[in-house]
Amino acid sequence: MSTAEKADTRAATGDPEAGTDAARRTPGLVPVAETMRTTERHPPEPSGAVPAGAGRPWAFWRLLGSELGLTFRRPRNLVMLAVLGAVPVIIGIALRVVASDGQMGGMIQDVAGNSLMLTFVSFSFLVLLLMPVAVSVVAGDSIAGEAGAGTLRYLLAAPAGRTRLLLVKYLNAVVFAYAVTAVVALSALLTGLILFPAGPVTLLSGTTVSVADGLLRILITVGYVGAAMAALAAIALALSTFTEVSIGAIAATLVLVIVCQVLRAIPELGSITPYLLPTRFTNFDAVLRSPIDTGALREGLLAFGAYIVLFGSIAWARFSGKDITS
Amino acid sequence: MRRGTFVRWGVPIAAAAVIGGAIGAGPVIAAVSGEPVLPERSAQQLLADAVAANSKDGGLPPMSGTVQQTASLGLPALPQAGEASPLSLLSGSHEVKVWYGAADKLRVAMPTQLNETNLIVNGGQAWYWDSSTNTATKLTIKAGARKEHELPTPRPTDLTPQQVAERLLANVDQHTAVRVINTAEVAGRPVYQLVLAPKAEGSLVQEIRIALDGETYVPLQVQVYAKGSAEPAFQVGFTQVTFTPPAAENFTFTPPAGAKVEEQTIGADFAENEEQRAEHAKDVAGQAKVVGEGWAAVAVVPFSLENLKTEAPAGQERGADPGALVDSVLKSATPVSGTWGSGKLIRTKLVTALLTDDGRLLVGAVTPEEITKAAGVK
Repeated sequence: MSTAEKADTRAATGDPEAGTDAARRTPGLVPVAETMRTTERHPPEPSGAVPAGAGRPWAFWRLLGSELGLTFRRPRNLVMLAVLGAVPVIIGIALRVVASDGQMGGMIQDVAGNSLMLTFVSFSFLVLLLMPVAVSVVAGDSIAGEAGAGTLRYLLAAPAGRTRLLLVKYLNAVVFAYAVTAVVALSALLTGLILFPAGPVTLLSGTTVSVADGLLRILITVGYVGAAMAALAAIALALSTFTEVSIGAIAATLVLVIVCQVLRAIPELGSITPYLLPTRFTNFDAVLRSPIDTGALREGLLAFGAYIVLFGSIAWARFSGKDITS
Repeated sequence: MRRGTFVRWGVPIAAAAVIGGAIGAGPVIAAVSGEPVLPERSAQQLLADAVAANSKDGGLPPMSGTVQQTASLGLPALPQAGEASPLSLLSGSHEVKVWYGAADKLRVAMPTQLNETNLIVNGGQAWYWDSSTNTATKLTIKAGARKEHELPTPRPTDLTPQQVAERLLANVDQHTAVRVINTAEVAGRPVYQLVLAPKAEGSLVQEIRIALDGETYVPLQVQVYAKGSAEPAFQVGFTQVTFTPPAAENFTFTPPAGAKVEEQTIGADFAENEEQRAEHAKDVAGQAKVVGEGWAAVAVVPFSLENLKTEAPAGQERGADPGALVDSVLKSATPVSGTWGSGKLIRTKLVTALLTDDGRLLVGAVTPEEITKAAGVK
């Protein structure tokens, strides 16, 4: 999306508020014409004017709300969500065609026998590359995109503070990460229910659980995979603070993901693979065992937490001391 | 640079330090808090206690945990063997989960990426489940087959634990130095480590360490150290263990709907081919001999490559092609020659093998010098 479009979107959301602008502006900090853009980030209030400084905790949520509005209205993000939602449908149809041929392998058999399994199979395909692409596009664009478009300084002109802006940007990416995960899960679940018989789920361990238990396990998977994507978003956000070219941050994140996958494939480097983030992505298959391998899930979540803390603090250190030149 | 910059960057550095600390905390805490010290025991006392503890009321106590097996034997790179193939155990690291309820209640699960193989033994029934092929195999152990094959070792119940320990140690003492370490820890539990160090100069084995739980005397870990390396060349042991009875549903198995169910009787094949096998074994045993004794023993077997390549594929259904495997191993072999003739030498950390041009295969856990010496003994 071009800068002009971005500005348009903001103008569209902010226009009704333009009249109340003067009351809220910090005098003398920036020219009036530019303050408009900053204030436009607040969504229009139905009641009209908000007293200056009245709702400081609210300001944070308003900023987050407006960020989310922008993220989920951007055509490219919607296209990514649509593509991710389409993949489980394609996998489901392909497996359906193969399954009717009669030649069944293990995984195909699993899916053909139960609709819920399609969700896990879809995740195991998508979590390796396609979902990281979608998440790093949003997270990598978050700071660098604003800097590149020249809108970052206006954002910072609002009395929000850099830490808070960074937090909003990160939460925005996390919500998008969970949205991506939920879209994949729902699409796979619907496709599975239409194409394959529903019923008790056979786990990898050979035990059978009820549909309700199966749905609960899907819910746990969504939580785990979403957390995995949130950890990746922290890396993309950190890289995003180092550049003004958003495609640089996005590409760097994806290169990191791919390099990790390559390193994982080399058996001699087995000792470092537990520390690579993508190693943990596919560990959601722990929910398909009986009993659920809580150890693997806990380890994975701890690793995600560690990545979020480390790269979150790097992003903060860089961003809070950065000279904003654009 | 401004002072604030340093302070700011201190935050991620501190975060990295904390995370690094948390990862390394296990060993560090263990080192700082001092090793757990169990009361001192001699090797004989320890073995006697172990035998006593494990022979009463039906063997091992109920337990569950994760067993990890790691091998870095320094083998030449093997061509991709199937994950379930036994050959894959020769390199890298593998993990299985174990639930043990009683002598006839056992579940072993090997989780792999989006797959799992399970062996469930409950009473007289055993199931083998492979999720990748969606096959449940019901295993029946043919009555009688087991008794015939039982090893003629003295049964623990025939002797007092002290006697067993004495006998074991008497045989061992001649070639091996035995000591006990009482400060080790395995899977977070203090253990006794029984250390067996070969006395033979030419042995490639530095020592073998067997860890027995300090409380229950269950063997928790076996490590084999090669000479000149600080890390064990082969290790199998628990990384996590609890001594509580596992949930009963671990030992029940019903083949899921839609799965292929097969039946297999263990021992049937054995009985049929037994005569043939016995003959073959006698044949090989007649030709094979052992040079040297104790740890420095070298087995000498008549061997020809052509035989192996033509015979092997029939027996092996899955996994890597044995012909290709042999080729790749031979590629890494170094040609050697001496007064005894010439041949190809294959070296690993623990085992040396020599394939002589006159059709003999020498294998032993000894240095190359020892094995060529053995090749000279006709």
